[in-house]
Amino acid sequence: MTRPARPLAVFAALVAAVAVALAPEALGPFHIRVLQFFFFSAALATAWNLLGGYAGYWSFGHMAFIGIGAFAAAHYAMAFGGGGAGPASMIAPVAVGALSAGGVALVIAYPLLRLRGIYFAIAMLGVSQIAAELTNNVGVLKGGIGVFLPSPTPAGMPPERFFYYLFAVLLGLCLLIAWAIRRTRFGYALLAIREDEDTAMMLGVATERWKIAAFVLSATLTGTAGAIYGYSLGYFTTYSVFRLDFSLNMIVFCLIGGIGTLWGPTIGAALLLFLTQVLLSRFLDVHLMITGALVVATVLLMPGGILRAVGELPRLRPKREGGT
Amino acid sequence: MSEAILSGRGVTKRFQGVTAIEDVDFDIPEGAIFGLIGPNGAGKSTLFNLITGYLPLTSGEIRFRGEPLGAMPIFRRNQAGMARAFQIAKPFRALSVRQNVAVGAMFGRPDAHDVEATAAEAMRIAGIEALADRRADALTVGELRKLEIARAVATRPVLLLADEPCAGLNPSETAEMVRCLRSVRETGVTVWLVEHDMKAVTSICDRILVIDAGRKLAEGSPAEIVADPAVIEAYLGAPLDAAEGGAG
Amino acid sequence: MDLFLQTALNGLVLGGIFSLAAVGFSLIFGVIGIVNLTHGVFVVAGAYLALVLHDSFGIDPLIGVLPIGAVLFAVGYAYQRTIIHWAVSRASVEASLVVTFGMAMVFRNLLQLWFGPDVQAITPSYGFQSVAIGEIRIDVVRLAALGASMVILLALALMLARTHFGRAMRAVAQQPLAASLCGLDVRRIFGLTFGMSAALAGASGAIIGIVQPFSAATEVAWTLNAFVVVVLGGIGSPAGALIGGLLLGLINAFTAQYVGPALTQAMMFLVLVGMLLLRPQGILGAAYGETR
Repeated sequence: MTRPARPLAVFAALVAAVAVALAPEALGPFHIRVLQFFFFSAALATAWNLLGGYAGYWSFGHMAFIGIGAFAAAHYAMAFGGGGAGPASMIAPVAVGALSAGGVALVIAYPLLRLRGIYFAIAMLGVSQIAAELTNNVGVLKGGIGVFLPSPTPAGMPPERFFYYLFAVLLGLCLLIAWAIRRTRFGYALLAIREDEDTAMMLGVATERWKIAAFVLSATLTGTAGAIYGYSLGYFTTYSVFRLDFSLNMIVFCLIGGIGTLWGPTIGAALLLFLTQVLLSRFLDVHLMITGALVVATVLLMPGGILRAVGELPRLRPKREGGT
Repeated sequence: MSEAILSGRGVTKRFQGVTAIEDVDFDIPEGAIFGLIGPNGAGKSTLFNLITGYLPLTSGEIRFRGEPLGAMPIFRRNQAGMARAFQIAKPFRALSVRQNVAVGAMFGRPDAHDVEATAAEAMRIAGIEALADRRADALTVGELRKLEIARAVATRPVLLLADEPCAGLNPSETAEMVRCLRSVRETGVTVWLVEHDMKAVTSICDRILVIDAGRKLAEGSPAEIVADPAVIEAYLGAPLDAAEGGAG
Repeated sequence: MDLFLQTALNGLVLGGIFSLAAVGFSLIFGVIGIVNLTHGVFVVAGAYLALVLHDSFGIDPLIGVLPIGAVLFAVGYAYQRTIIHWAVSRASVEASLVVTFGMAMVFRNLLQLWFGPDVQAITPSYGFQSVAIGEIRIDVVRLAALGASMVILLALALMLARTHFGRAMRAVAQQPLAASLCGLDVRRIFGLTFGMSAALAGASGAIIGIVQPFSAATEVAWTLNAFVVVVLGGIGSPAGALIGGLLLGLINAFTAQYVGPALTQAMMFLVLVGMLLLRPQGILGAAYGETR
């Protein structure tokens, strides 16, 4: 199906991986934490981009899947235990968190994806509000009083470093999936949907199915990130994981970096977080204004984001397997 | 005439009391270039929307290759061998011409074939090989119309519904489009053509169906249609070549 | 039964205010086709201006509505002629969604810097009086707020139906190109529509200030409320906004009373999502023909 990746790209990826692996040796805890948050944010934005950027369905409520992932993981861990100690104890709860987010997405996908444009965006916002309020107010979900996840950090390792690596791997996974999708029929189907859904149908694209697939995949990755984020917090309540600013940042990072591109979300997250967390960390009270102004400036001055959506497509290679 | 590839019986469509298509029958013979004409607002595009599944029928039945279409989803109709070139060209703007056509080749009829070869062949039939690497939003109206045909042909249909492919084209572009539709037919595809340009219609169609105000007015060979008093009446009461020929 | 009536009354009072707060949003959506996510900021800005007028100059918020409307009219007009116009002509109507969202963040931050992040409230002299109708009690401020909202909505409806500007606006909404060919200055009408929308938002903010606490952060809720009202009632008309607003008010009041006060948002969005799926054009439909 896919052509072999260029040796240069493989080499660059290896260098990046080694750099990410060694960086904590040279950095203090503060900067490790900033980078950890960057990996988390970039992974979220990349996951959002699968639906919002590739298929053109902008969700304004992806925080729902972060929260569902975190709470499902915590309830599973509290009820059944993780099985083992250390990092291995995370595997089952995180999987449960990811699958719960994906499962919820699968249930709501069919009705919601019949809405288009702003209506889908706002309906997703509604879904996230409903999910948050239910988590907070339905007793058994314990959103109001909070839930715990046991520390999975291996003995002798600082927690920020452990989660730094975990989120780095997650970002790598998201990027790998986003990259792979672009070179398959899946990627073309989503692009066709984004460009003109009605025409895509008449060209044989089963739009409904591809949209649902993208939505569920995006939600599952977001849920995975949410579950790991829950572990990094240890103890959390509804509004520490159902955060409106998560929903908004996913969109903003993609917009600034280049919506619908492979690297755009990561670049956008890097730029904005560097600006707000490092350069302007002392001016907390104007963060919102800077973010807003950057969003406006990006749309007005470079509508495609820093990376243009064009020229990102691989050359045409995929062949049709027989009898699908 | 060989057997009908597409046939309709009592096809009717109402929009909240307004009847757009009323009790229309048709049989499209396999291998033909079939014409559909009628004054503005006669219901031509509505009929195509009914056939391709963009609108549900109020009553009546449409059969494609002998099978009733019912509520079959749009993409399945395409995969069953029905393609459509839209009246308002709707390219995937951010993609190149080659990629646009490839989408059709990739998702059309589901059997083993080489996507690239199919796309290349479709571009050759439509005469746009030279534009393959151009972005779709950089094309002229005439080129967009040909892209519309190429993309539809790339889904490897047995029936192509072409909705006013010559609208807004100049005479030389129209001549090219006529050539392009002929070469589509040469590959064995049945073509059903909605057209305003009478010169184009009468020069390439084997048979023509005329509708007016949602009803079937006449059907026959181009010569019969041009001579039909009811048709002449519908077209402003003037002889057809005088009323419409000048517009093309 | 009394509880039911009391709840219904509370819902209608709240709904009247929702209607006024949403009608400007609805106009812009209907006439220009833009979802203005800055709308809630204009509402909150109106409330802050009313607070300043009341606390510093002793002007009653219900009188303050006039100067506040004038100020926000100017702001809205200037906003459309610069940033919104720029966004729509340089990028697209979709891009304008993002631009208004970004501008909402900027404005919200400015309000926070100016007035601080604390929750504020306006207490006029009649703030603690109430009247009784049988067993049902209602605060004077709420009655005043409802009355003022209805008067403004009625004036708007008359203006749209009777004046040249109203007719021009409806023409532009239906066919911008045709309207401009007929000699209407479409860009000016877009600017005036934005100005009027902001003025209505500001007026509603002044009224909201006397019945509800507010802070800069509540702007999101007002934008969302406006959206829900429009989806419920239909786009672009005062009547649609009124029906949608009253309905939203009733949903809020009854949910808070009988389901649980913490679940009003959830219920509101449940109705919203259901409505979008079942009748996307709203109860009254789009005022200007097809939705864009």
